[in-house]
Amino acid sequence: MNNILTFLALLIFPGGLFVLLSGLVYEWADRKLIARFQNRIGPRWFQPLADIAKLLAKEEIIPNGVNPGLFLALPVAALAAALTAALYVPMAGLSPAYSFTGDLIVTVYLLSMMTLCSGLAGANSVDRFSLIGATRTLTQLFSYEAPFLLSLLGPALVAGSWQISVISGYAQSHTWIILTQPLGFIVALIGLMGKLELPPFDAPEAETEIVSGALTEYSGRGLALFRIGKDAELVIGLTLVAAFYLGGLANPVQFLIKTVALLLLVAGLQSLFARLRIDQTVGLWWRFGALLVLVQLLILIVFRGFGL
Amino acid sequence: MTETNIPERFIVPIGPQHPALKEPGHFEFSVDGEIVTWASARLGYVHRGIEKACEQRNWIQDMYLLERICGICSHVHATAFVLGVEKLAGVTVPPRAQAIRVLVAELERIHSHLLWLGVAAHEAGFDTLFMFSWRDRETVMDLLEGLTGNRVNYSANLIGGVKCEVDQSQSDAIRRGVDYLEGRTHHYLTVVTTDETFLGRTRNVGGMSHEQAELLGAIGPTARASGVARDIRVEAPYAAYPEFPVKIVLETTGDLAARFKVRINELFESYRVVRQILENLPPGDLAVKVPRRIPEGETISRVEAPRGELLYYLKSNGSDIPERVKVRTPTLCNWASVVVTAVGHKLADIPMILAGIDPCFSCSDRSVTIQRSDSSSQVWTWEQLRQYGIAYYR
Repeated sequence: MNNILTFLALLIFPGGLFVLLSGLVYEWADRKLIARFQNRIGPRWFQPLADIAKLLAKEEIIPNGVNPGLFLALPVAALAAALTAALYVPMAGLSPAYSFTGDLIVTVYLLSMMTLCSGLAGANSVDRFSLIGATRTLTQLFSYEAPFLLSLLGPALVAGSWQISVISGYAQSHTWIILTQPLGFIVALIGLMGKLELPPFDAPEAETEIVSGALTEYSGRGLALFRIGKDAELVIGLTLVAAFYLGGLANPVQFLIKTVALLLLVAGLQSLFARLRIDQTVGLWWRFGALLVLVQLLILIVFRGFGL
Repeated sequence: MTETNIPERFIVPIGPQHPALKEPGHFEFSVDGEIVTWASARLGYVHRGIEKACEQRNWIQDMYLLERICGICSHVHATAFVLGVEKLAGVTVPPRAQAIRVLVAELERIHSHLLWLGVAAHEAGFDTLFMFSWRDRETVMDLLEGLTGNRVNYSANLIGGVKCEVDQSQSDAIRRGVDYLEGRTHHYLTVVTTDETFLGRTRNVGGMSHEQAELLGAIGPTARASGVARDIRVEAPYAAYPEFPVKIVLETTGDLAARFKVRINELFESYRVVRQILENLPPGDLAVKVPRRIPEGETISRVEAPRGELLYYLKSNGSDIPERVKVRTPTLCNWASVVVTAVGHKLADIPMILAGIDPCFSCSDRSVTIQRSDSSSQVWTWEQLRQYGIAYYR
């Protein structure tokens, strides 16, 4: 019995199928929202699914000069990491499938696997666009990772735990943390956009400069897996930020409302700005992002020190 | 274009097929990390042999053919050609026709500059501005369609006049459209001059000093952004520009931000001229009759296209077929500025710098002679060049 439940958790909910499908739905919502903001019609609801189905059916072309094993394994590893991360977050407002002390750190690093894998995939290739894309991907990873982690540490600090379910529970029973830690929320949200390489942080895959960045050489299955992985990460990231900053996720309705509200915000930010150059991205993160979140942490520590 | 011995470097090819280029061209940028250290351009992927084809068609057919050199600034090509032919034929075109030519030319400039605004914003990853400016561009496309019957390749010109008449309802429609566009253009000017992320991509990027612009022979809005007062509409007014003068728009900094400002301010100037023409449209005929055979002679005709000076050289041998038609499009003069200003910039800025001159590849693809640095340079006489050209196309 227990084994069947484990399998269900891995394959259907909250891992596997649920994350994949909700990822596609959120990708569609994101694309549609941006399209409407930009005065376009936008894709139909099944477009992301159709894209993935087409890519999965296509022949996988392994270019010359790459390590074929790595080329095939990296997309799988990226997707696997993203799906594993889904097990530790309160997907759909239900309690996480698995939980242990310190799972926050594990989840954040599982989410980073995606970026790392696409960076490696670019570096594995001899294509110039891929190489430049890989450099940019990894540069960006080093710039947003620390501030993003620190911004998730704020709620962890007030909740006094490193466990996602505990922090989420704390958020439900207290004032929304977005009100007490607004700086942390801003950094977390923008950090999420950096993580997902959404505009204006899309320098690593800037199509007008380096075609498709690190993933230029990927065509069929590999590209599809990377894309589903990114969609899964979008859902997980939104869930994480909503659970921490927007008063937790007590039930599926709250999950839907809060993550979609966040998505609306993210889509708005995506259509507001011109793409940042990679040096501007790094500058932004280390000059403002890291500073903001450190100020936030300092305030927290001082407050806790005085026992407030 | 010169080819130099390139030591082994990390060269990033852009083109002939690349998402940043809407037309084929090939550029190579060697980079050191993200910094561009060397650049070269190669053109000629869309060479169509239009000049040669002109020598096998009569003057009237050529007008339609030449209009198809460029899909964006088609009217100025036809205008430059008919102005030259009319000069050769010695006919005086009615003032109403000249005014309508200028009207269509300015509407076309509005359409071209709005198109460029969108393309340049897209290169900067600012797709929202791209979508909005192209949506508004539809307004002027509709006006042109209402006036001439076509969205592109308007065929408004005839040798000796124009085809289309501007009546009261069209005049009102154009006024309404221009009023709407003026409001939108104010908004775009605010966006490109105040949006910090956008300015981060344009300020001090692709800068070209006044001296460099003079030295490289830059023309059009590219040169005007560097403070070079060069505008055929002002320097040598043609058609109805003497009656409806244009104020030259200048900026001094020469970077991409200045080019945005120049082009957007030129839009305001175009709106003003369009309104002025509609209010003071001279009465009279639309065209005069011009004989099919054009008297022997040669002439140069210059007009200001949206991208800069457009030059036509026409030679007639007295028959109804031209002896030679030579076109020099504005983009060709501005390529050098791209290759020079790209060096020292970041790779991320390159698409912006490329788009900054408002390039039109198919316009500039004509015969190219590659001069290698290891061989001695060679000067061709006119006759040799002509023979080479004839042999090449035969």
